[in-house]
Amino acid sequence: MSVLVVIGVSIFVFALLHVIYPSPARDVLGLRAPQMAVDAWNKAHGYDDPAAVQYLRYVKDLLHGNLGYSYIENQSVLALFEGRMARSAYMSGISLALAVLIAIPLGVFQAVKRNSIGDLVVTSTAFTLYSMPVFFLGLLLIQVFALSLPVFSFQASQSTSLLTVIADWHAMTLPIATMTLISVAAFSRYMRSSSMDVLAQDYIRVARAKGLPERLVLLRHLVRNASLPIVTLVGLSLPQLLTGNLITEQLFNYPGLGLLFFDSLKKADYPVLLAYTQAAAILVVAGNLIADIALSIADPRIRLR
Amino acid sequence: MAPLLDVQNLSTSIKLTSSTVHAVDNVSLRVGKGETLGIVGESGCGKSVTGLSIMGLLPPGGAVTGGSIKLNGRELVGLQKEEVRRIRGNQIAMIFQDPLTSLDPTKTIGYQVAEPVRLHRNVSRKAALDRAVEVLGLAGVPQPRERLDNYPHQLSGGLRQRVMIAMALACEPELLIADEPTTALDVTIQAQILALLRDLKERLGMAILLITHDMGVVAGHTDRVCVMYAGQVVETSGVVPLFRETRHPYTRALLASIPRFRQGRENALPAIPGLPPDLSRPPRGCRFAARCFRATEKCRAEEPPLTGPTSAHRYSCWHPLNEPRTLAVSGVDVSGTTGTDLVAPDARSPRTADGIRTSATEHKPETATANGDREGPLLDLRNLVKEYPVGSNAVLRRNAARVKAVSDVSFSMPAGTTFGLVGESGCGKTTIGKMIVALERPDSGSVTFGGVDVAKLRRAELRRERRDLQLVFQDSHSSLDPRMRIGSIIAEPLHAQHWGSRQARRERVFELLAEVGLPKNTVERYPHEFSGGQRQRIGLARALSLNPRLIVLDEPVSALDVSIRAQMLNLMTRLQASHGLTYLVVSHDLTVVRHLADRIGVMYLGKLVEIGSGSDIYERPAHPYTAGLIAAIPLPSPAAEHAKKEPAITGELPSPVHPPSGCRFRTRCRFAQERCAVEEPEPRSFGPGHLAACHFPLRTATPPETTADFAG
Repeated sequence: MSVLVVIGVSIFVFALLHVIYPSPARDVLGLRAPQMAVDAWNKAHGYDDPAAVQYLRYVKDLLHGNLGYSYIENQSVLALFEGRMARSAYMSGISLALAVLIAIPLGVFQAVKRNSIGDLVVTSTAFTLYSMPVFFLGLLLIQVFALSLPVFSFQASQSTSLLTVIADWHAMTLPIATMTLISVAAFSRYMRSSSMDVLAQDYIRVARAKGLPERLVLLRHLVRNASLPIVTLVGLSLPQLLTGNLITEQLFNYPGLGLLFFDSLKKADYPVLLAYTQAAAILVVAGNLIADIALSIADPRIRLR
Repeated sequence: MAPLLDVQNLSTSIKLTSSTVHAVDNVSLRVGKGETLGIVGESGCGKSVTGLSIMGLLPPGGAVTGGSIKLNGRELVGLQKEEVRRIRGNQIAMIFQDPLTSLDPTKTIGYQVAEPVRLHRNVSRKAALDRAVEVLGLAGVPQPRERLDNYPHQLSGGLRQRVMIAMALACEPELLIADEPTTALDVTIQAQILALLRDLKERLGMAILLITHDMGVVAGHTDRVCVMYAGQVVETSGVVPLFRETRHPYTRALLASIPRFRQGRENALPAIPGLPPDLSRPPRGCRFAARCFRATEKCRAEEPPLTGPTSAHRYSCWHPLNEPRTLAVSGVDVSGTTGTDLVAPDARSPRTADGIRTSATEHKPETATANGDREGPLLDLRNLVKEYPVGSNAVLRRNAARVKAVSDVSFSMPAGTTFGLVGESGCGKTTIGKMIVALERPDSGSVTFGGVDVAKLRRAELRRERRDLQLVFQDSHSSLDPRMRIGSIIAEPLHAQHWGSRQARRERVFELLAEVGLPKNTVERYPHEFSGGQRQRIGLARALSLNPRLIVLDEPVSALDVSIRAQMLNLMTRLQASHGLTYLVVSHDLTVVRHLADRIGVMYLGKLVEIGSGSDIYERPAHPYTAGLIAAIPLPSPAAEHAKKEPAITGELPSPVHPPSGCRFRTRCRFAQERCAVEEPEPRSFGPGHLAACHFPLRTATPPETTADFAG
C-alpha cells in the first residue's frame, strides 16, 4: 500500500516538473544559447526521450541514490542534501523528542487535575500556542530572549559540523524551543483527552482496588494506554516537522534542508525542489509505517493481527 | 463475636456540578466471617456506592459524610489514604461487573494477577508469579502457567472474569466485594462463576458482599440479604425468611415483577409503576411511598424506621405485609396469587387492553403449531446461512477464516404470533434478526415475508417492504440520535416513506406517544432527558410509526431494571394485541422469551437445536443444551437454588470459526458419544410442533407426523 503511494507521488511530481521544466539546458547553456545548441544538449543528455523513458530513468537513478543534479549550484542534489539532512534531522528529532517528553506528563497532569487552575493555565497556554503561526512564535522568542533579554542568539548555529551545532546551545535553544512549543501544544491536548478517557476505564478502578498508590496507577496503567493515540499522532506529524523546519530554518537562518528548499525556490532550482518534494512524500509514508509498527509494539491487541 | 465488617449509619454523597446526590443514606449492615451478604436493588439505589465507600474508591466528588465502617473492629472512615491503600486489595478485594474492560489491555495476565502480591507481600517477582499461577488455578483457569503471558483480549469473557477473581484472591482477602460479578456474562457462564465464588468462599473462609440486581442470584448465593431502595436499606433478613416472609412492599414488588416460567401470559406482569426518586432531592417520608399501593398520609410525611420483631429480620415500612406468603418449593409459582394486589391503581389501566390480547391469542400457539399452514406463515426462513470473513486475509477473500454465524437455519412464523430466539451470545440470533429486516443479506437460503423473498429484493422494492419490517434495538441510548428531538426521531420513518402531510405526521407522532404511554410534550425533548425505559418506549414508538406487520425486538429489555422491564413487557404485549403485530424476540434472557413468545427456537453456535412452544421448551426440553440453559437460570427461590448441584453446562462456547464436527454442542454435552462427533443430528419430532436435533435426547422421540423439519 505504502509502496503504491510512493510510486504515485513520484509519477505526479515527475509529471509536474516535466511540464514546467522540461530540460535544464537553458540553465547550463545560458539564456542566449541558440536553439540548435539546446536541442543538441537535450539529445546528448536524453532530454528528448519520451516522458515515460525519462521517468523510468529518473526512478532508476532514484533507486541508485542519485537524486538529480542542480545545474544552478553545479552540484549533485545528493551532495547538497547530505550535510543539511543531518542538521535538519537533528533539529526536528530533538524537538519532537522534547515535545513528546513534555506533552505526555503534561497531558496526564491536566487529566488528573482536570478543571483545576493548573489545568486551566496549561490549556489556555496550549491554545494560544496552537493558534500561533510558527514564524510569529519564533519572532516573539527572538524579540524576548535574544533582543530584549540577550540570553540566546537570534541566529542558529552556522557551523557545518553537526557536533559543533549540537554543542552550541546558545544558538540552538530558540529554534528548537520554537518547534517544540508548537508540537507540545498539540500533543498535550490529545494526551489530556486520551488520559481522561483512560482514567474513566474500569481497569484504572481495578488498579486502585488492588491498593496501588496513585503514582503507580498512573505510571503502570494509564501512561501506556493513554499514549497509544499519541503514537499515531507523532507518526503523522513527521512530515509536518519538515515544513516546520522550512519556516524555522529560514527564520533562524539555519543551514538545513528547509533553508535549502527556500533558497532553491527563489532560484527556481527545480531538481532540488523535486527531490525535496519526493522526500516529503516518502516521509509521509514512512511516518505512517513507523506509527503502525510502533503501535503494534505498544498495543498487544494489534500485535495479534 | 464481632462481625468482620460492621457498617453503621453510613451516608455517602456525590457532588455533581449542579447538585449533590445523596447516594447512600444512613445504611447499616454487618458481614460476619465466612458469610455472604447480598445487597440487592435496582440501578441507582446506592448498592454500588455502598461497596465503593467500603473500599474507599468513591468517584471524584464522592465522600462519606457520616457513619462508620469497621473492619475487624478497626475504623476505616477518616483513615489516612496510605492506610486505606494497604487494606485495599489485601484485606478487602473487589471484583467488578465488566470483565472485558476491567483488565489493562496492555499488560499480561501474569503481571496483573501478580501485581497486588508484589505490592502487599513484598516478595520476589518469581514468588509473585508462582502465587499468580496458584490463584489462577484456584479460580478455575485451565493451564494457568501457560496463561501468564497472555493478554486479556486473548481470553473469553468468562475466563477474564476468572482472572479478575484470581486477582482479587491473590492476597487472601478476608472480605470480597463482588459488584454485579456475573451481569455481563451469559447465563451458563454466570452459573459457573457463581458456583466458583461459593466454592472459594467455603474453601478459603472468606466473607463475600455480593451486590446484584438479580433476585435469583441472591436466592442461591447469599446467607443474608439487604434490599436497598433509593439509598436506604428497606428490608434485611436471612435469605430464606426474605423470600418466605417478605414484609416490605418494595421487596415483594421486586419479586413479583420477575417473569416466571410457568406463569402464562394471561396476566400482565405486576410492574412497579413510576420511577425511583431523584436522590439529589430525596422525598420526605418513606421513599417508596410514591410507587407503593399501601401508601398512606403517614408514609408520605414520616420516614419509617428500620425495625422488626427480631434483629434478624428488619424492615422500614409503616404498613408491612404481614400475611406470610406461601412458599412454592420450586420458586416458580410464587407470584401467581400475589401479583394483582401490589400494583398501584394507575398501573392497572393497561389491564383491559391485555384482556383483549389474551382472548385474541389464547389458543393461537396450539392452533398455529398444529395446523399453522392454513394461510401460510407470515415469515418463513429456509436454510439461512451467513458467514463473515475474519482476519487480515479478509480483503483478498481467499483462504480467509470465516465466522460461521448462522449455519442452515429454518423456521417459520404465522402472523400475529411471537417467536422467541434464545441462546448464548455469539450463537447467531442477532444475525438472523438482521437478515429478517434485510440489514444483512444471507449468503444462501431465503427469507420469505408475506410471500416475497426479502433477500432478493431490489433497492426500491426493499424500501417499500421496510414499512412492514421494523426493528427495536437493545441499546436505547445509542439507537436514538442524541441531537434529534423525540418528535423528529419518531417521525423519521414517516418522512423516509413519504407518509402523509406534515400535519398528518404530527398527529401520528402524538398518537404513537399516547400508545406507548409518554406525554405529548415529549416531542420537544432530547433522548438524554429520558430514562432507559422511556427511551425504549420511544424506540418502540418509532418502530410502530409505519404500522409494520413484523417487529424484530433485539434484546428489548436487557438493559432495563426489573421493575421497568415488567412495564415494558406489558406494553409490548398490549401493543401486539391492539395492532395484530408479529414479533420476533431475540434475547439471551430465557424468562423474558418465555413470557413473550408463543414459539421458541433455541440456538447454539449458528444452529437451531430445538424448537417448540413455551411449555415444550421449559417443561419438556428434549435437547441437553436447552435443559442446561434452563437449569442455569437463577430462580428467585432459595430452596430451588440450593437444590441445584453442579452447573449444568460446563466449559465455554467453542470458536464459531471452527465449530465442532457433527453436533456442535457435543464438546460441552454430558451425553456426548462418538456418534455425536461424526454425524450431525437431524431434527426429530417430540410432539406436535416440538422438534430437537439430538442423537441422545432427554425424551423419547415421537414418530413424526410429517417429515421433521424446523421450518415445518
